[in-house]
Amino acid sequence: MSTKEEVIQYIKNLAEQKILTKMEVNSAYDAGSGIQTDVVLSKKLGISEILYYIGGAVVFLGIAILLAQNWSTLGFVTKLLATLGAGIAAYFVGVLFSRDERTENVGSAFYLISALVIPMGLYVVFNNAGYDAGSYGSQSLISGILFAMYISSYFVFRKNIFTLFSIIFGTWLFFSLTSAMVGSGPYFDAGRFYEYRILVAGLTYILLGHAFSKNARSALSGFLYSFGILSFLGSALALGGWEPNQNVFWELIYPGLIFGTLFLSVYIKSKSFLTWGTLFLMAYILKITSEYFSGGLGWPLALVIAGLAMIGAGYMSISLKKKYLTA
Amino acid sequence: MQTLKKNTTLIIGISIPILMILFVAGSIYLPGLFIKPQVDFLYVNGDDNYYYYNSGYQYTVVNDKITKNDVKQPADPSLKPPQVEPKLYIYDVTENVSREISLEEAKKLDLNSSTISPDGFEVVYGSRNDGGFPFFWGGGTDYNARYLKGHNVSRKVNLPTTGSPYYSGMHFIGWIK
Repeated sequence: MSTKEEVIQYIKNLAEQKILTKMEVNSAYDAGSGIQTDVVLSKKLGISEILYYIGGAVVFLGIAILLAQNWSTLGFVTKLLATLGAGIAAYFVGVLFSRDERTENVGSAFYLISALVIPMGLYVVFNNAGYDAGSYGSQSLISGILFAMYISSYFVFRKNIFTLFSIIFGTWLFFSLTSAMVGSGPYFDAGRFYEYRILVAGLTYILLGHAFSKNARSALSGFLYSFGILSFLGSALALGGWEPNQNVFWELIYPGLIFGTLFLSVYIKSKSFLTWGTLFLMAYILKITSEYFSGGLGWPLALVIAGLAMIGAGYMSISLKKKYLTA
Repeated sequence: MQTLKKNTTLIIGISIPILMILFVAGSIYLPGLFIKPQVDFLYVNGDDNYYYYNSGYQYTVVNDKITKNDVKQPADPSLKPPQVEPKLYIYDVTENVSREISLEEAKKLDLNSSTISPDGFEVVYGSRNDGGFPFFWGGGTDYNARYLKGHNVSRKVNLPTTGSPYYSGMHFIGWIK
C-alpha cells in the first residue's frame, strides 16, 4: 500500500505528463468519499439526441392539438389523463430510462415531454377547479409547483436537465409572481416594469452561467450566457427610451455596459458576450445617431458616421475573437 | 464557510430576483401602511353619457355645487340609445366603501372638482399587465378598475358592479370639502 505522499507525487507526475486531468482526480475523489456529483452529458448533442428531443416536442404538440380541437367535448377525466397523466407517466419513464447509460438520452427526451405536458395538466386542474388558469395568481401557483418539482428532482437525481427546467420554471415563477403582486394597480409603468424584470433575469442568468462554468454543469453556461447577455443588453437599451422620453441615466451608462461586456467576453472566454456586445454596440450607435444627430447634421451624414462606427465595432470584434477567443 | 465562498456567484445570482420580489412587495405594500387618503369623493356610476349620452344629462361642479346639465339627444328616435339611469355615490376612503345618495343629498355637499385632492391623491384607471410566460409585456389601461393614487400609494377603489366585465361607467365628480 502506497503512502499518501507517494500517491500525491504519482498524481503530480501524471499531471505533468498530461495523462491525468483535474476533473478525473476530482471525480475519483468524489466517488471514493461518497459525494454525490452531477450526472453530466459532456458529449455534444448528436443527430440521434436531437431527434429524441424533436420527437418529445412532437408528442407535446399532438397532445396540445388533441386538447385544442376537442376541448368542449372531452370530459375532465379524459383531459386530466391526456395531460397530467401523460406528463407524470413520461416523467417516470424518463427515470427508468435514465438508470441505464445506454438509454439515458431517451430518458432526457421523456423528461422534456413531462416538462411540456405537466403544465398543461396543471392548467386543466386549475381550470376545472374554477380558477382563471390564465391569471397571474394561477400562473404563479403552476410555475411554483413545477419549480419545486424540478428542483427536488435535481437534488435527488443530480441531472443537468433538471437544472435547466428549474431555471426555466423559476423564471416563469419570477415573472408571474411579480405580475400577480402588481395586479391592475398603477404602481409602475407596465413596459418599464417588464424591462427591469428582463434586466434582472438576464443578470441572474449571467451569474448562474458563471457559477456553473467552473463545475459539472458547465454544459449550461453557453445557454445561460447567451440568453443572459441578450436579455441584459436588450432591456438596458430599451430602458434608455427615445427622445423626448429618454432616460438619460440608461443612455449614458449604456456604452459602459457594452464595453464591460466586451471586456468580460475575453475574461470569461465567451463568444456570445462578444457577439451580442458587438451587435448591441451597433444598435446603440444607430439609435444615438438617429435620435440626436439626424436633425443637426442631416440624416445622410449621420448615417455615414454610424456606418463607419459600425465598421469599427465589427473590426474590433473580429480582432478580439482572433486574439483571445480562438483556441 | 468554504462552500459559501465557492458558491458566491451562484448565491448572488439567486438572490437578485428574490431581492427584486421583496422590493416590489415593499414598494406596493409599505407606503400604504403609513400614508392613507383622507378626503372622500363623489362619483357617478352606471352612466355612459360621455360616450353615448344614454342618460340624457351630465353632472358638473359649478361654484362648488353639483349641477345637472341636459345633453342634446338625437332627434331621430332610432338613433337614441337605451336610457340608463346613473347613480350618485360617496366614496368613504377610510372604510373603502361606496354609499349611494340622491341628487338632493349631493346638492348639499361642497365639492372641489380639481383632479388632485387637497391631500395629494387622484382617481386613476388601473393598468393591464397581460400575457403569459415569457411574453409579459402586455400593457395598457384597465378601464374596469379605478385606483386612488398619490405619494407612491395606490389603493383600489371598490366600485359597485355595472354588469360589464370590460368597462366601468364610473366618473369622478369632486372631492367633498
